[in-house]
Amino acid sequence: MSQIVVDNLTKTYGDTVALDEVSFTVPSGEFVIVLGVSGSGKSTLLRCLCGLTKPTAGDINIDDRPMTQPRPEIAMIFQQHNIVGDMSAYSNALSGGVNRAGFLKSIFQLQSKAEKQRALEALETVGLLEEAEQKARRMSGGQQQRVGIARALVQRPDVLLADEPVASLDPGSAQDVMHYLKDASNERDLTTFISLHQVNIARKFGQRFIGLHDGKKVFDGYREDLTLEAVDTIYGDIDTDGMFVGDEQSEADSSESDRQTEATL
Amino acid sequence: MSTHDEHEQEAEPESGREPEPDGGVKQSKPLESASAAINEQFESIKATRRRRAVGWLGLIAGLAFLTAQGLVAAEFDDTDFGWAHFYSRLGDYFPTTTYFEFIPGIPGIPFLDVATYWEFMVQLELLYDPDIGGLIFQFPPNFSDIYAFFFQEMGMFAIFGEAGITLAIGFVGTIFGFPLALLFGVLGSERVTRFPFNFIFRATMSFIRAVPAIVWTLIFVALVGLGAAAATVAIAFNTIGNLGRLFVDELEEIEDGPIEAMTTTGANKPQIVVFGMLSQVRTSFIAWTLYIFEINVRAAVTVGVVGAGGLGTVVVNQENLRNFENMMATLIAIFILIILVELFSQRLRARLRSDEERMSWRELLFGFPKRFADSMVR
Repeated sequence: MSQIVVDNLTKTYGDTVALDEVSFTVPSGEFVIVLGVSGSGKSTLLRCLCGLTKPTAGDINIDDRPMTQPRPEIAMIFQQHNIVGDMSAYSNALSGGVNRAGFLKSIFQLQSKAEKQRALEALETVGLLEEAEQKARRMSGGQQQRVGIARALVQRPDVLLADEPVASLDPGSAQDVMHYLKDASNERDLTTFISLHQVNIARKFGQRFIGLHDGKKVFDGYREDLTLEAVDTIYGDIDTDGMFVGDEQSEADSSESDRQTEATL
Repeated sequence: MSTHDEHEQEAEPESGREPEPDGGVKQSKPLESASAAINEQFESIKATRRRRAVGWLGLIAGLAFLTAQGLVAAEFDDTDFGWAHFYSRLGDYFPTTTYFEFIPGIPGIPFLDVATYWEFMVQLELLYDPDIGGLIFQFPPNFSDIYAFFFQEMGMFAIFGEAGITLAIGFVGTIFGFPLALLFGVLGSERVTRFPFNFIFRATMSFIRAVPAIVWTLIFVALVGLGAAAATVAIAFNTIGNLGRLFVDELEEIEDGPIEAMTTTGANKPQIVVFGMLSQVRTSFIAWTLYIFEINVRAAVTVGVVGAGGLGTVVVNQENLRNFENMMATLIAIFILIILVELFSQRLRARLRSDEERMSWRELLFGFPKRFADSMVR
């Protein structure tokens, strides 16, 4: 169905090489997390995948169609939410489906009832049904990001892309947002592609991991492959002592590792 | 607006057939497949929207009434409106010669006498003064009169004839007005001067803006005599009001972060202003200044009408002489000047504002045809 095939993707900005011949295939329905330090090319990869940035070389095929410009079936969630602050959460969510309504219909919010129901259900999925009529500007960072997710869901995508969706959130809200992302992805059977830089969160939610370092793919594997050594190759020479807590350990321990991870990164 | 309620009542053809994500099939009753909570929220949103629609209708009705009042106040109900008169007057501005009268069956086709305009532009040196620059290429060069060499023979504005005078008024006015506008703009900002005192500067700027440039020219004529100098001083003065206001507004919207960061470094007040505030708005200040330059060149045409020189003066002189063809020629010259100034300024501003890698001037110039073609096919 909607598998992502990236072949020798290269993107340069002047002399800077943001992506260096990255290739991978993501089968339909997988929950993939891209890891890497700031400037490793995560955002560029995501922007290329959703068609906002044109690659210098290489091909991206989603659903066996080359990605040359943004498509409605591929939804993007941004780090800075990029929702419209002056509109209500409901209007923001509804705006995800404007591609299915005409210009005047969308201006006067005359979308079909099915569409409106979809917007409300998306808000329910992200736990914001009660706040539907609130102005997005007055919401907290975590809530705004969830509105962003709702908007992406109303788009009825096959592929969900998220560029560091939790980077500007506190650990609690970050966990919330990741939970909602994971739930939405499972519920609607979406191929999900998220960039993150918190290893602990990534490990908690991810199914498959792709590691970028200086624009090159340095790691590609599933949960059991993501060992300390693997993290070392992705993040270079950093102190990874105590970064990993076994999966069997309790929540309290994992919040301990949160703090340590943040201190190390 | 009133249609939307009716619209919500009817079932969309799409929704009738299509299975909903949760498996149910949509009915015509309000969101039957949805849960109670969703239905409740849906009804609440519907009520809000209905209230808002009533509000908007009231607003539109109010505006329509006000507009009708305004039309009457502007004497629109009492005009001697006549297309025939308008059309006959157009002939004065657009001289025509009729060709092809020899062909039987047609009364001939009138053509616009572009040459009439062109002759006048050349005759009065509206856009180009051929006398300028003649001495530069003379050999051996004559350096005996430095002033004459640099300002008459190398006259960068004078070479554009009357348009050059207009351009010079706008340019020098902007250059002289800029530092004062910057000073007033910064001091008028609430973050620099405490609340009641910043209004000293804001009020000064409001006062300057309240009087149009053409009136300032009349005032400054008494100071420096009738001519382009008075116009330049007036436009510089006007720039303080207009550009300063834009600066103040721009400064209101900057972020607190860099200011706080500079404060914690122990910087003094002027340093905070420069590093914390002005550094954030540098490109937008330059862009606004270019915009005001555009406006000032236009204003230079207007103030020319009161005799301050340049294209504006030519327009009013030709009108007084009832030479409407020549007047039209001058208007065309003004059009050319304004368009060129705007094009230049627009491109420069776009270049300043873009975050993309800067093109070299060479690329900018020689790559233009290709970029133009690319934009066409896109």
